[in-house]
Amino acid sequence: MTPTHAELNELEQTANTLFVDLCTPASAAAAETDGWHPRLWAAIDQAGFTDVSVPEERGGAGGTPAEALAILRAAGRSAAAVPLAETGLMAGQLLTAAGLDLPLGVRIVVPPAGADELVLEGDQLSGTARGLAWGRHASWIVVLLPRDGENLVAVLPGPALEMTTGVSVVADVNLAGEPRDDLTFDHVPVARKSLAPVGTDPGALQLLGAAGRAAMMAGALSSMADLTLRYTRQRKQFGKPVSSFQSVQQHLVTLHQQAALVSAAVDGMLTAISNGPAPFEIAAAKLLANQAAVAATRAAHQAHGAIGMTQEYQLHQFSRRLWSWRAEYGNDRYWSSRLGSGVASAGPDALYPTITAGSAAMTP
Amino acid sequence: MLLNKFCGYSLPVRFEPTELTPQELELQRGARAFLRDALPQGSYEPGLGMDSGRDAAFSQQLAKYGWIGVAIPTEYGGRNGTAVDRFVITEELLRSGAPVTHHWVADRQTAPLLLKFGTEEQKRRFLPAIASAEISFCIGMSEHEAGSDLTAVRTSATRTDGGWLLNGTKVWTSNAMDSDWFVILCRTGTDPDDRHAGLSQFLVDLRTEGVTRSPIPFLDPSTHFAEVLLDNVLVPDDCVLGVIGQGWVQNTNELAYERGGPDRWLSTYGLVEAFIREYPEEAKAEQPAQVIGEIVAKYWALRRLSLSVARSIDRKEAPAAESALVKEMGTRFEQDVIIALQCLLDVEPRSTSASVFERLLSRAILSGPSFTIRGGTIEILRSVAMKGLVL
Repeated sequence: MTPTHAELNELEQTANTLFVDLCTPASAAAAETDGWHPRLWAAIDQAGFTDVSVPEERGGAGGTPAEALAILRAAGRSAAAVPLAETGLMAGQLLTAAGLDLPLGVRIVVPPAGADELVLEGDQLSGTARGLAWGRHASWIVVLLPRDGENLVAVLPGPALEMTTGVSVVADVNLAGEPRDDLTFDHVPVARKSLAPVGTDPGALQLLGAAGRAAMMAGALSSMADLTLRYTRQRKQFGKPVSSFQSVQQHLVTLHQQAALVSAAVDGMLTAISNGPAPFEIAAAKLLANQAAVAATRAAHQAHGAIGMTQEYQLHQFSRRLWSWRAEYGNDRYWSSRLGSGVASAGPDALYPTITAGSAAMTP
Repeated sequence: MLLNKFCGYSLPVRFEPTELTPQELELQRGARAFLRDALPQGSYEPGLGMDSGRDAAFSQQLAKYGWIGVAIPTEYGGRNGTAVDRFVITEELLRSGAPVTHHWVADRQTAPLLLKFGTEEQKRRFLPAIASAEISFCIGMSEHEAGSDLTAVRTSATRTDGGWLLNGTKVWTSNAMDSDWFVILCRTGTDPDDRHAGLSQFLVDLRTEGVTRSPIPFLDPSTHFAEVLLDNVLVPDDCVLGVIGQGWVQNTNELAYERGGPDRWLSTYGLVEAFIREYPEEAKAEQPAQVIGEIVAKYWALRRLSLSVARSIDRKEAPAAESALVKEMGTRFEQDVIIALQCLLDVEPRSTSASVFERLLSRAILSGPSFTIRGGTIEILRSVAMKGLVL
């Protein structure tokens, strides 16, 4: 059940091949204009990437969340403009936990931070769900609703289904031009619902979202480091490659350090997730990814100079995503204070064991 | 350069993910249990990582468990362990602020150097003595005109009957006052155009006639720094380390052992633990919690990188760029920790304070700048890393 690093790496390389083929700077630009990359989504669907972590009896591939995250890292590496984290990892885990079968098509989970205004009356949902990734393209909306100390998982028809009525969309995008839509429900009947088991709550959903973003950010950071290294070795000024200037080399070192640090954090997160609940590793990985998003994009843009600020050059496909993802599913303050209050409460003698064993040391 | 594809390539530096095995976790439990017994809280003055107390008896106690010179083969008195075994033991010692100075250099540097370049006779003579913590070593590299640029070394070794005569002055040699031996880098060649080729390494007993050691007080003002004057010091042939003229290559190899280990990111860990111990309520408030959260996340990830380097060394790879990236980042982080914690408290640090946290803080502020200098400045490390990136 627990995939090894080598197995995860193999899967990631397989996914990488698919993404590298289909995600080009041109296709990313087109997806931004049209809000969708249909060829890519069809290929992802066909490859089964949307159902990787779902048990076979629920219509999935019977894999693990770690495998879904390895694929997300590959997606981030190619700046894939698709709601794979939402449809696959998040909806997959949420529906599986609640014992619900997975509906076909694009499934978008309402982020915990965007679910406050939703009200369930009987079997009808009303109110506005905010910041849904590719919400306009959702066939199904999955929402976790805290109610009387319990949590209910509900599935609702999304705007992409013809039969859907009572759902209106206010389209918006994040800084990377990825759709982040607000959907307003007007007494929309719930298609399926079920009580979630203990532990499946908004906090757990936030962790799941953060894990997905951290994996995607690790991928984007490594591509950004690679792109910058290659550019600075080719770009000549004062008669030599700019990578030969020590002040530029410092940016390259920073970039590769940040990419390596976040990759190592995501690797650790994958191991921990395979072994049980991983709140420490997810929090640490997302926090480090958020911080790297600042330090690494700064270094990458500085090393590129003016061309990095243009639409025609691809750096912005990574930097704008990193800036956007950094703010999604918990900012620096959110995760650092969670991590810090956790370890401070555990006391001084538990500190180093937590640094070496993470969540396993915190949850006896 | 406009590409019609995104990269999707792997990076030129590779940190293979790795986890500790059940056996390594057992070793970790053993080291933790030993330290709980041998060094109870309050029974010793904790150090700042490898910048710690010197206690030969403690080092010899560790040696009894086979925890010094871990990778030394059993035939030379070691436990035939791995770089990861050493990593596991070292991180426990450093995070406890244990007195490691007596065995530190011999364990980290001299033993692997002897294993790689020493003669059979040298291995039999020195390795068992290192593994039992009987003798201590220091490193004679820097000179007044040779800091980061070791090719500028001027201390000379000239051929004489039965050995070599050494003349010159080594400076900023850590722990020279209390060490038994040092490994010295000297100039044996005279070709001014090939400064790399003319360097050689020797093993020198610091009590030999002609060796004069004088402390160079540190600014804090401890006296672990020293000047070592060599005036016609006779070094017998059996104390030539490796090959005459190969000192540069050997020395570069030696520096790789210095880099990327837990000693390059744990120096100020004790402050964090002491802060939580002494200010348990304050630590939970939002702002301190954020600072602690950031620090802990970084320890966790840096440790994974550092462990990956140790694993890579066990695979007989040469992770020079990776080690340099870790050390550059780790030592800057060690300094960041000091400032981050100091900003949380309104205290005027005193070395004489009754508080362990304040004493550690005081020493860390004073010695902190050395973290990013010792064993290769971060500027040099960046160029080492760049060679790995560009090749």
